[in-house]
Amino acid sequence: MNCRPIVLEAQHMSDESENRDMLICRCEEVTLGEILDAIDDGFVTVKDVKRATRAGMGLCQGRSCSRTIARIISQRTGRPLEEVLPKSYRYPVRPEKMAAALSKESEDESDR
Amino acid sequence: MTGGTDVVIVGGGIIGLAAGYFLSKAGKRVVVIDKGGFADGASGACDDMILFQSKKPGINLELTFESLELYKRLIVDFDDSMQFKNLGGMVLIENEAELAIMEQFVREQRSYGLDVELIDQQDARKKQPFLSDHIIASTYSMMDSQIDPFHVMRAFEKQGSKLGMQIIRRNAVEAIDLLGSGNWKVSCADGSSWEAPTVVNAAGAWAPSIGAMVDLSVPIVPKRGQIVLSERIPPIGETNLWNAKYLVTKLHKDSATALSEEEKALGLSLAFTRSAGGTYLMGSTREYVGYDKSTTIAGIKGIINLTLGYLPRMSEVGIVRAMAGLRPETPDGKMILGEHADRPGFFTAAGHEGDGIALAPITGKLLSDLVCNNRIERRVDELSPNRFGGTAHE
Ligand SMILES: Cc1cc2nc3c(=O)[nH]c(=O)nc-3n(C[C@H](O)[C@H](O)[C@H](O)COP(=O)(O)OP(=O)(O)OC[C@H]3O[C@@H](n4cnc5c(N)ncnc54)[C@H](O)[C@@H]3O)c2cc1C
Repeated sequence: MNCRPIVLEAQHMSDESENRDMLICRCEEVTLGEILDAIDDGFVTVKDVKRATRAGMGLCQGRSCSRTIARIISQRTGRPLEEVLPKSYRYPVRPEKMAAALSKESEDESDR
Repeated sequence: MTGGTDVVIVGGGIIGLAAGYFLSKAGKRVVVIDKGGFADGASGACDDMILFQSKKPGINLELTFESLELYKRLIVDFDDSMQFKNLGGMVLIENEAELAIMEQFVREQRSYGLDVELIDQQDARKKQPFLSDHIIASTYSMMDSQIDPFHVMRAFEKQGSKLGMQIIRRNAVEAIDLLGSGNWKVSCADGSSWEAPTVVNAAGAWAPSIGAMVDLSVPIVPKRGQIVLSERIPPIGETNLWNAKYLVTKLHKDSATALSEEEKALGLSLAFTRSAGGTYLMGSTREYVGYDKSTTIAGIKGIINLTLGYLPRMSEVGIVRAMAGLRPETPDGKMILGEHADRPGFFTAAGHEGDGIALAPITGKLLSDLVCNNRIERRVDELSPNRFGGTAHE
């Protein structure tokens, strides 16, 4: 998989001018600059930012970058992390082959 | 907050944002209010097609032509492609009975100016090398296009905002009252309220609950659609794909026996489209389950089974996500657009069922013209909210 977690420290994010090109979502190649612009346009949750920029829509489905994005939003807007992070995840939680998905037996893994 | 607002739009899906943009452009001061986040409704859980081939000749087909032209203009005006693509589409035919019905259907569509033709098995496989052997023929139209709903919504929002449009999110509209002044007062969950002479109900599948706030019955029901997303893969064919089976059962009720139990129970029909991100969107279901937006294992399996029936080689491709949205369905399959009788200044723009992405620009434009009392080039009375008779909501 091409997504490795990226550890971002607070000071990196505030020093935007140098870091706007830094990739936050590697799967979809979304930069810090694009995410900051979306936040400034009023997209202030991880879901909003994802839909506005595609960050977190790739193969890893945001498992690597969601928390980083949440921290960036929280820092920039002052909104608490709980308000910014998604409430739930849906099946499939990890990518799986179409053929394999057919052998799923119950609804247990499907959440709302 | 009083004064300074001309139009309050309830619902910030693709329809509400399109309406907001066109009204702002016409000089109106607009506020769009949504109870959820960005694209939380159907507009964030759907395919991205501007689809012609599924349409019977009539107003929906005409409006799709007009909307496509508007999209092309907006792409230039906004200097933003919004990921517009024109891959064309094929409707896959599995047997002689389907072929006969589709031949007739294609003839009617052609007479209406749609550039569509039938192609044989060999030509179908040239465009789609991975098709199952049992496909005997296909339709083909170069007109079927697509545009990314998220991009479209963000563009309407950005361009509208430049013109002063305000967008309020995560705040539900809870009451709408007519004031003595003739203005409507729209009250929200957080205690704020807005007053304006015009209110637009653009709440999609939730439009009935907004209508009920002013004692109107808006005959829209939510019809759930589930979609499965593949991982990103190189293109496996030239066009996007649909199946004739479902379309045929809509055109001829007695052909419904061709559907499997699973297809019937879930209302399954194939839509296989390549997304802006290079993944495939595979769908979808048509289920009446109220306002339940969850995905189900049965739905996901049904979609996978259906897809593999047409494209067996997809079995080795990974799926990364499933999603579900609520299509706003009307009794006659036409959107509801216009001012309600006895409710001066109260408009509805909702009920686009499976075509809201395609029809957003033309809906926004026509609504703006209706609100501003501009002369409209086309007839829109067949879309009027008053076409269903009785207005009172009991
Ligand atoms: C599986 C699927 C596939 C589809 N594929 C296509 C396609 O390929 N092409 C196409 O053209 N169309 C497609 N559609 C249809 C399209 O998604 C819809 O027609 C369109 O999104 C409807 O837009 P809308 O703005 O009316 O509704 P929505 O996007 O649902 O917006 C309504 C908004 O109203 C808000 N709201 C509700 N109640 C309140 C309240 N009390 N106060 C404030 N806000 C409120 C909601 O939060 C929501 O954001 C598909 C739909 C589905 C489900």
